[in-house]
Amino acid sequence: MANPQHAGTQCPGRRSMAGLPGALIIGSMLILALPALAATDSERIDELQRQVKALQNEIPQMDSGMHHSPSGEGLPLHGFMDVGFVLNTREYPKAAKTGFYMGALSLYLSPHFGDNVKGMVEPLFEVTPQGDWEVDVERLQIGYTFNDAATVWAGRFHTPYGYWNTAFHHGAQMQTSVFRPRFLDFEDKGGILPAHTVGLLSTGKFGTDSGRFSYDAYVGNGPMIIGGNTALQTLGTMDPGNSGDSDHSALAGVNAGYEFSGGMNGLRLAVHAMSGNIDTETEMPAMHYETGLNVTGGSAAYITNDWEVMGEYFRFNNKDKSGTSVTPGGTHNSRAGYLQAGRIYHDLTPYIRLEKALLNQHDIYFSSQENGQSYSRQALGLRYYLNPNTALKLELLNSRFLPDAARAALAYRSLHVQYSIGF
Amino acid sequence: MNSALFRFWFCLALTLLLCPSANAGDIVVITNSGIAVSPDEVRDIYTGEKQFSGSTQLVPVDNAALQEDFLSAFMQMDTVKYNRLWTKKLFRDGLAQPAMKPGDAAVSAYVRRTAGAIGYVSTVPPGVKIIQIKSVQ
Repeated sequence: MANPQHAGTQCPGRRSMAGLPGALIIGSMLILALPALAATDSERIDELQRQVKALQNEIPQMDSGMHHSPSGEGLPLHGFMDVGFVLNTREYPKAAKTGFYMGALSLYLSPHFGDNVKGMVEPLFEVTPQGDWEVDVERLQIGYTFNDAATVWAGRFHTPYGYWNTAFHHGAQMQTSVFRPRFLDFEDKGGILPAHTVGLLSTGKFGTDSGRFSYDAYVGNGPMIIGGNTALQTLGTMDPGNSGDSDHSALAGVNAGYEFSGGMNGLRLAVHAMSGNIDTETEMPAMHYETGLNVTGGSAAYITNDWEVMGEYFRFNNKDKSGTSVTPGGTHNSRAGYLQAGRIYHDLTPYIRLEKALLNQHDIYFSSQENGQSYSRQALGLRYYLNPNTALKLELLNSRFLPDAARAALAYRSLHVQYSIGF
Repeated sequence: MNSALFRFWFCLALTLLLCPSANAGDIVVITNSGIAVSPDEVRDIYTGEKQFSGSTQLVPVDNAALQEDFLSAFMQMDTVKYNRLWTKKLFRDGLAQPAMKPGDAAVSAYVRRTAGAIGYVSTVPPGVKIIQIKSVQ
């Protein structure tokens, strides 16, 4: 009998020896095949790497030739649009005509060119009191941002005085009320302040522990008051000088503010000043006047989840430089201001506004402008947000104008309904 | 052998304890690793008041899956007020509202590859800098 233990030790060896040729064959094939497989994968990886590199090179080349929005999602078109209805107790040129009206369509684009260069274009389509369509370029500016504290813009921009002119401007849907305060009207509506300036604007903010300093400083073409015609009994409007400074007299100003944080978050206090020579030219008779415009004042805004409160004050200390007024070479003081308060109840905001302007009619700057008459006005209104982009407003106005040498006293009440969207 | 095993588990526990991690219900503010931003600056960045970190332009992005909780916890406002704020910012200063990304993966990938990018996610991804973690529960 064979020793099972002995047999046991021999059998595995035999099996192993028997499988050795097969293992050698398979091993040899693998040794021969692996480099080939490895070479194939390596080539594929190299090819993919080459393709990735090529794409990486193409993307910056494509991107460098394109403007883009900061969001990286193309250049979106935004805008505001409004329509409305007016009911007046008196028909008068200073009051809007009774009936339905088309408001304005304001479009704006803000292309960015890299991290520092950006643009702003705002064409405006509106209807004139005569019923004609009019297209204005409200803003056309190109800026360079150095850092948070300094962005310099060149072109035509919203003149940064007070709060309203830059915060809302043509954005009817954004503002609480239907209308701007009358003395802050746009130049082509007879407004007494240059709502736009063509020139240079520097703006920025500095953070502190308790809030943030902000500033706007600008210099630009001196506007002119043109179009006044005594024979036709028409008054002039302000021309910001889009194509150049006709009277070679610059307008300069500053608006410096402080935005509180912490417990007083939402409060902004600011002071502003503006100075420049304003020429007035009338036709029939052809006359030329020069006024040294000096404006100082302040603004306050308190915007929270529950309140929208804002107010502005302007003091004019204008100098007669042409010596043609009742007090040749003298100065004329005037003032204007408003205070508006709104309480926010979710989508509903009832508001009230008081505004008043006492404008010296010996000052050719006011007596030659459509809105240069002294007045007081009270507004009571309601804004309702139908959705985040749509506002429906109802506003009651009580307006009273004081008589002066060229204009009669006037008082009227009006009801305004405005339907406005922002997109 | 026991001593080595103990050291291994101790080091692992310490690493897990010290390494910032997000729990369920947390929102983590992350930035690209190339910029320095403090937690105090997150609100200013998402309101457009702070646009630069050094010379690098900051690029905040929103996370659609977490935006409501983020605005409530970090900004103390709702989406309506946030959108109105940005409408004003765009109109006045030409600043665009942060782009909206669909979720954590898209935000993490964008922040990792974009210089100056800042976003918020619910779980900490690798390759980014963690600025702040807040619980929204």
